[in-house]
Amino acid sequence: MTNRLKKIFAVVIPASTVLAGGTAWFVTRLPASSFENTGSQGEPSAQLMARGEYVSRLTDCVACHSVPGGAAYTGGLKMVTPMGAIFATNITPDRETGIGAYTLADFDRALRSGVAKDGHRLYPAMPYPSYAKLSDDDVKALYAYFMKGVPAVHLENRKSTIPWPLNMRWPLAFWNVVFAPSDVYRPDTSKDAQWNRGAYLVEGAGHCGACHTPRGLAFNEKGTDRHSAAFVSGALIDGWFAPSLRNDANTGLGRWSEDDVFRFLKTGRNDHAVVFGSMTEAFNNSTQFFSDDDLRAVAHYLKSLPGNAQRDGTPWQYEPTQAKALQPAGRQGIPGAQTYMAKCSFCHGADGRGQWEWVPPLAGAASSLVPDSSSSINVTLNGSGRVVAAGVPDSYRMPSYREQLSDRDIADVLTFVRSSWGNRGASVTAAEVKTLRKKTRPADSGVVVLKIN
Amino acid sequence: MELTINGVQHHIDVEPDTPLLWVLRDDLKMTGTKYGCGLAQCGACTVLINGNAARSCVTPVGELGSAAITTIEAIEQDEIGQRVVAAWIRHQVPQCGYCQSGQVMAATSLLKQTPHPTDDDIRAVMVNLCRCGTYNAISAAIHDLAGDVGQEGAKK
Amino acid sequence: MRNASFDAMAMSDVPVNLSRRRFMLSSAGIAAGAFVLGLGVPQRSARAEATKLRGTKVPAFLEIRPDSMVRLQSPFVEGGQGTFTAMAQIVGEELDADPATFVVENAPPGDAYVVMDNGMRITGGSMSIRNGYSAMRRLGALAREMLLQAAARQFNVPVEELTTQPGRVVHAASGRSVAYGDLAHEAMSLPVPNPANVKLKEPEEFRWIGAPVPRVDVHDKSTGKVVYTVDVSVEGMLHAAVQHAPRLGMTIQGVRNEDQVRAMKGVHSTHRLPGAFAVVAERWWDAKRAAEAALIDWQEPGPDTTMRVMPADFSTEAFRKELADAHGPGEDAETRGDVVRGLKNAHTVVEATYASQYVNHAQLEPPSALARFNPDGALEVWVPNQAPDMFRADIAKRTGLPVEKIIIHSQMLGGFFGRHFLYETASPYPQAITLAKETGRPVKLIWSREEEFLRDTLRPMAAVRFRGGLDRNGIPVALEAVSATEGPTEGLNNKRGDRLDDSALEGLTGKSYDIPDRRIAQHFVKSPVMLGYWRSVGNSMNDFLYETFLDELADKGHQDPYELRLHLLRDNRRLTTLLKSVADLSGGWKRGPFTAADGSRRARGIGMASPFGSEAAAIAEVSLENGRVRVHEVWEAIDPGKVVNPAIVEAQVNGAIALGLSQVLLEETVYENGMPRARNYDGYPILALNQMPRVHVKIIESGEKMGGVGEPPLPAIPPAVVNAVSTLTGRRIRSMPLSRHDFAS
Repeated sequence: MTNRLKKIFAVVIPASTVLAGGTAWFVTRLPASSFENTGSQGEPSAQLMARGEYVSRLTDCVACHSVPGGAAYTGGLKMVTPMGAIFATNITPDRETGIGAYTLADFDRALRSGVAKDGHRLYPAMPYPSYAKLSDDDVKALYAYFMKGVPAVHLENRKSTIPWPLNMRWPLAFWNVVFAPSDVYRPDTSKDAQWNRGAYLVEGAGHCGACHTPRGLAFNEKGTDRHSAAFVSGALIDGWFAPSLRNDANTGLGRWSEDDVFRFLKTGRNDHAVVFGSMTEAFNNSTQFFSDDDLRAVAHYLKSLPGNAQRDGTPWQYEPTQAKALQPAGRQGIPGAQTYMAKCSFCHGADGRGQWEWVPPLAGAASSLVPDSSSSINVTLNGSGRVVAAGVPDSYRMPSYREQLSDRDIADVLTFVRSSWGNRGASVTAAEVKTLRKKTRPADSGVVVLKIN
Repeated sequence: MELTINGVQHHIDVEPDTPLLWVLRDDLKMTGTKYGCGLAQCGACTVLINGNAARSCVTPVGELGSAAITTIEAIEQDEIGQRVVAAWIRHQVPQCGYCQSGQVMAATSLLKQTPHPTDDDIRAVMVNLCRCGTYNAISAAIHDLAGDVGQEGAKK
Repeated sequence: MRNASFDAMAMSDVPVNLSRRRFMLSSAGIAAGAFVLGLGVPQRSARAEATKLRGTKVPAFLEIRPDSMVRLQSPFVEGGQGTFTAMAQIVGEELDADPATFVVENAPPGDAYVVMDNGMRITGGSMSIRNGYSAMRRLGALAREMLLQAAARQFNVPVEELTTQPGRVVHAASGRSVAYGDLAHEAMSLPVPNPANVKLKEPEEFRWIGAPVPRVDVHDKSTGKVVYTVDVSVEGMLHAAVQHAPRLGMTIQGVRNEDQVRAMKGVHSTHRLPGAFAVVAERWWDAKRAAEAALIDWQEPGPDTTMRVMPADFSTEAFRKELADAHGPGEDAETRGDVVRGLKNAHTVVEATYASQYVNHAQLEPPSALARFNPDGALEVWVPNQAPDMFRADIAKRTGLPVEKIIIHSQMLGGFFGRHFLYETASPYPQAITLAKETGRPVKLIWSREEEFLRDTLRPMAAVRFRGGLDRNGIPVALEAVSATEGPTEGLNNKRGDRLDDSALEGLTGKSYDIPDRRIAQHFVKSPVMLGYWRSVGNSMNDFLYETFLDELADKGHQDPYELRLHLLRDNRRLTTLLKSVADLSGGWKRGPFTAADGSRRARGIGMASPFGSEAAAIAEVSLENGRVRVHEVWEAIDPGKVVNPAIVEAQVNGAIALGLSQVLLEETVYENGMPRARNYDGYPILALNQMPRVHVKIIESGEKMGGVGEPPLPAIPPAVVNAVSTLTGRRIRSMPLSRHDFAS
């Protein structure tokens, strides 16, 4: 071996070792927590506990960490990913199976950095990229609530079905560097307090972007705050198209007033829409429990997000031309029109305008204007879960039509709906219906409200 | 709120999202309009609102305003309704009868809009369910009124 | 129902309660307060004359009002099958009163109204007309005799000189006549004549029996005037709704938001019942929403429960496989010759497993019950039922009240199809009684459609392993069918009887084909769901299973299915006539596939059945439209022996065809995780008008013993359709419903 080679080896080998060692250190290191050296918290005050419970409503922990019929926060919700299924974990204060052994710093790292107490990286199905924005005070309150306000339940977590090597978690550390924000919410001083509170709730605690922001190839949200035009601009998730929450006149909230947004999140309904699909769970378990001030802040902030007129097209206007075609003789020649009259019109009206806030209009509905037809198909196949506002279930619910209508029937009726009354969503194919039919299940006709205690 | 039912104004005190069906049945004791499914699937609750067939189980009363509501109780006071009932008797349509209030209302609505319905029109509009299977008698009775007796479904 | 345990109870002769009568009177559409004759009269005189013959207490059944209208207490409940009209025809025939002058009501419980020879009072099994025919004729004749005697006294002439015209007694010699209404008071207080001596009309003299008499209830049913149980209301009544445990056997562990539920609008009170949470309110709508709103923690039943517990992991998909894989010799239900030898000697043996599905009743009127405790300690219950005495006995057992203190009101049924037998876990009346007791007010409980789909009893599932032997000419010479199933009777009793449950196998048994070696057997597999009777009971599925396998045998033996059936029935004149009649009705047997005038490819199939004492044969013509089966025509010939009302028979055939088509095309109750997937018609589609084919009916009166009508036309329909589809597609189809099969490819 020449000296030169020796020299090279002398440099390369230690460097490689350092790099490898550095990588290993990086992917297994515990991120910093603001509460690193905070000792035992002692008995939390009732006020702090109440605050924590409220924060848990904002963050909607129960949505994933409880299942119907199961004890509160014992986990078990199955989330299917392209690699396999993962299951939400037990976050009750049970020491062996839950988070009873977590210090505040451990809790903070899981919540805001996506790293469990033992150092393993959480899948970003846990919305820690959003929770990263939570304030220290809210984290502390949430910790107090989970440690002292939630009953400990001993229940083993279910193993994920993702096979090796895809089940290795350490690469997520790199994912986090690229995609996960790591700082708490910093107020925009050019905006007022209400706006900033709204931003905190939408971008952070409420993690609206988890469903409403389109994701990139790495399953990352394409934008995590108001600085990105992609943020809450509408996304396909779990067979539903979560519409834009920006000021897009057709596919977003452009035609909604702040008060419309407020009423929607408070009561589950307004003149434009009724919650359906996955939003039902978010409403039943979370948004309606926001304080009025917080909901108004959310509405105020959302209405400040600009739409994309180029993408959205000219704003929808009602076109009444369909009425004549829906007479018995006329509709027999239009695919879908007969099905619409026989199955849809009794609730949504021959004019497509619904019934006030009780039955949503299809005319001008975001789901009928957005190019992605998943929500239209899904709700027709499966109906919608019960909307429970202030403990009272909805008077009217969407039935499931998967047993009555073929793929072709559903494609036809939705193409009709999406091209009537001024709607111009893309037409629907039988193949699309067939695909979603296989992947989805009919909604429960009974009330499902998850337990929080 | 005020509702105009069979030409009579009724004052009722209910939440606006209450279905018309239950106002008729429980508040006004007009039980001719039937509860079958509560989900707009069967049509047993069909009434006429401004002459059009509507399913009262999915009609919030808060939506009705001054609309003219006609129920089965007044069907023989409607000229077309009276003819429908007469045809129902001629063709001995009902079996158990539970769905027939709704069927009669749906047929009346059809004939108001389309005085001479074809077989296709009847199939398109008469979508109320009947578990006794009186469908052919229903078609025959409507054809009879349409002056189109040649096409009736049930033949011996 | 044939094996159903039935407590022979001491029926009382308590005079009828007048206030209740008035209620029923108004419910029947007659002005309340009409002068009531007959029924107010103590029945002692009649009872003294009663003999062993049933249904002879004339005043218990009949009231003739001053205007000569006849009020008849029907021992059989009206639920659409037309029994009220038939009763009016039969009684009216012998009474000599036009059926159009009858007002017919459901009779209260009581020994007086037991008219069937088996000593039971049940509306079901298509038994009403055939088993009530003689007694009801005799009743009419007895009443006529009493009117004649009263007139003889009034005219002071010998009774032999009197005759009747409809509604009048006539003394031809003097030209005098008197309306029944003017004689009723006196006639009904006379002793009932000896039934053994009463003379009945000769069939040639019939005026109404055998005629297409209009139904007595059609106007009321076309104008919303009929009061079903769900419509009854009494003063001071509260409304109730329930939320049932998701799986049978579970009980309430806790209600997370009971205070909130109690505070909901209109709520009177909340109640924890066995396996259910109830809300009582001023309006049903409020009760229903509050019952739905309750967030209930349900707990699994303890090990000592006597209920049929629904397991958390039960699914029909898995049960279907379990039945198909269930192998066992089975217990013999019907054997002839030696099937082992027959199969061994056969030239070809064909083996196949056929399967049926669970189905719901899905009658349009949701179950309900109204209970009221009266100040005198009596309990009044309005309850949809097919057997008022059985319900009364059950209520006596539950409440500890003597039967005299229990008044049962039976309204017309908004469809039943077997839904309103005494089903322990599928009836709201025990809940209504508890709620009336707990609130101290009359309570009407209605099960929402969702709760009904959760608790309805189901027609059983079966998987039948067939083995058929063909001779060298392709003719079936041996047939074995072993059905893995549980019958509805053994199911609802939750225990097996001393002998096999006929209702499990009927339709596999009782076939008339001349196959020398055969064996029909049951391999008992307990079903986790609650089973019940469904229109045409065992025949509703078994004739499908048998008749489609018979077509498979025909195919394997290169036989035409129609010709093969004729051959197998060659010594049976009645069925040969029937089969040829249905072929003639369809314009001659034409199997297809062929191209119809509209260009569609079509085929026809045939099915036969011998259910409930009648014989039926059907031909169906089908095509495929967008991968789905469309039935264009159904021809059906039915031979019930004798017919009381051909128009009603034809209506019943239409109805049974609709239900048979609904079953074969669409219906299937699917359970997943121990719960039914469909909780309303959205997930459980039933036949709609645009799926109804043209129907052609031929009624044959062979003069054989009178059989049933309500159920017999159904069982031949599913096999006729499926046999046609198999011919059309070239694919052998061995299960229902056809919507489960993809014909797009």
